[in-house]
Amino acid sequence: MKDELFTMMGELPAMSPELLARMREEANRNLLRMKHFSEMVMNPKEPKIGATPREEIYRTNKSRLWRYESGRTIRTPLLFVPNLGISRPYIFDLMPKGSFVEHMTALGFDFYLVDWGVFGEEDNGLTVEDAVTKILPRLARKALESSGASEMSVLGYCMGAPLSASFVATHPEFPVKNYINMAGPIDFAHVGLFGKWLAPGVFDVDKYVDTLGSIPAEMVKMGFKLLKPTMDVSTNLNLWWNLWNPDYVSGFNALNKWANEYLPFPGEFFRQWVRDFYQQNKLIKGELVMGGRRVHLGEIRCPVLAVGAKEDNIAPPACVKPLIDAVSTRDKEYVELPGGHISLIAGRGASVHCWPKVASWLAARS
Amino acid sequence: MADNPSQQLLDMWKRQVEEGTQAWLRMMGQGQAAAPTMDPQAFWRPFMDQGMAAWSKVMTQGNAPSPDLMAQWKQFLDQWIAAWSRVLEQAMGTDSFAQLLSKQLEGFLNVSGPAKKAAEQQIEVSLAGLGIPSRAQVTALARHIAQVEEKIDGLEDKLDRVLRRLNDGSGRPERA
Repeated sequence: MKDELFTMMGELPAMSPELLARMREEANRNLLRMKHFSEMVMNPKEPKIGATPREEIYRTNKSRLWRYESGRTIRTPLLFVPNLGISRPYIFDLMPKGSFVEHMTALGFDFYLVDWGVFGEEDNGLTVEDAVTKILPRLARKALESSGASEMSVLGYCMGAPLSASFVATHPEFPVKNYINMAGPIDFAHVGLFGKWLAPGVFDVDKYVDTLGSIPAEMVKMGFKLLKPTMDVSTNLNLWWNLWNPDYVSGFNALNKWANEYLPFPGEFFRQWVRDFYQQNKLIKGELVMGGRRVHLGEIRCPVLAVGAKEDNIAPPACVKPLIDAVSTRDKEYVELPGGHISLIAGRGASVHCWPKVASWLAARS
Repeated sequence: MADNPSQQLLDMWKRQVEEGTQAWLRMMGQGQAAAPTMDPQAFWRPFMDQGMAAWSKVMTQGNAPSPDLMAQWKQFLDQWIAAWSRVLEQAMGTDSFAQLLSKQLEGFLNVSGPAKKAAEQQIEVSLAGLGIPSRAQVTALARHIAQVEEKIDGLEDKLDRVLRRLNDGSGRPERA
């Protein structure tokens, strides 16, 4: 029966060996595409995420401080402060050979990660101020105690950058050796579409928080999907194109799992975040007050590195770079690297551009 | 197997199609007690034969299709998506879109707010009737526990500061 399929086909003319090899390769890739597609549909595997060994150092309410195992050849420990809400922090330790945490610990950094946790309705009263003046100082102190070091480097990613910058600026007694802002918005006048949608007179944040209590994960997801409506199409197209490659497929599975796990915002946190940062741009203006202290970015006197991503539509480079002009240090540098908000920190591009830059800058000052 | 490389390629492609067809048949037949007697290949045979005839004609005329066509097609799709993305981004960056979005979301809040409140009240009444704590009560308890934890953490912080001052012997007051 099989041969009946091809009854009309005779002998074929000869082709160039180069073309033949390429066609053979394409045919093989098609076979692999079919194989991997049927595996993804019929027998989906749970991706191995967050594989770097770690230990819980401290826990307060939902938030935890993790210390990752390392050979520790670099004296100054590193505290990593990510965003609160929106997404889970395992993106920084996504998968073996594709993990920022693994990269840094392999180089000998004593790496601490702030995991803000998943806040529930009972935490709706939590504010940005609470995160900056209560949770973060406590976790930073515990990290310093745990490391036994006298100073610590702080790295803020995304929303973690304005939060950690506010912490560093209002806690001059805390010994910060170096500060890094990675894709973190500082000047919210240049924050792109979110700035437009959340502008005063357009977005009534009080009505949202008063009606919903907290901002549900589904609404957060909708906001981010709207920011790049073609993202799902291009993601699936790239998946199909690279479906023959098992490394790509395993990376896709891990990233896809993360990209579909959105987290809610505590209500009061969201209110202050939108009002003080997006709508009134208080941080760069020096008008933000946390725990009775004015947040003056000029109080950051340690070496500073700011990293922007060229195609970042969440924190465009124009809103990241102003940190450099605001701090009071001569040892400061701004770099703009290829990629978007996520590909700056996770994925193949990050391992080529961002991780080595951050690691070498820090190692020289740690 | 023919020595002609083109024929080898054709054989490989045939195998691929056959294996693919069999895989689909297995997949479709999973969980069924008995395989149906119909021949699904019969449906595809005319399309396959026509496709093969067209390919054969192209090959004979010397205009062999290259796998680069696929790469070019992918490139075209990428550019197409990027163009759409730029257009949408421009449209979404306008004030009128922001206002439209705001109205849509406010409409959602106007509907969901009272509905949520009514549902919560209804559930609360039902749970109270059954003697089961309501969501609001559980949330209040959890909030209370978090506040107690916060107070303990605060005391721990103060104790740490006192101990540090004693150890330093400075007696210098520290910031809260």
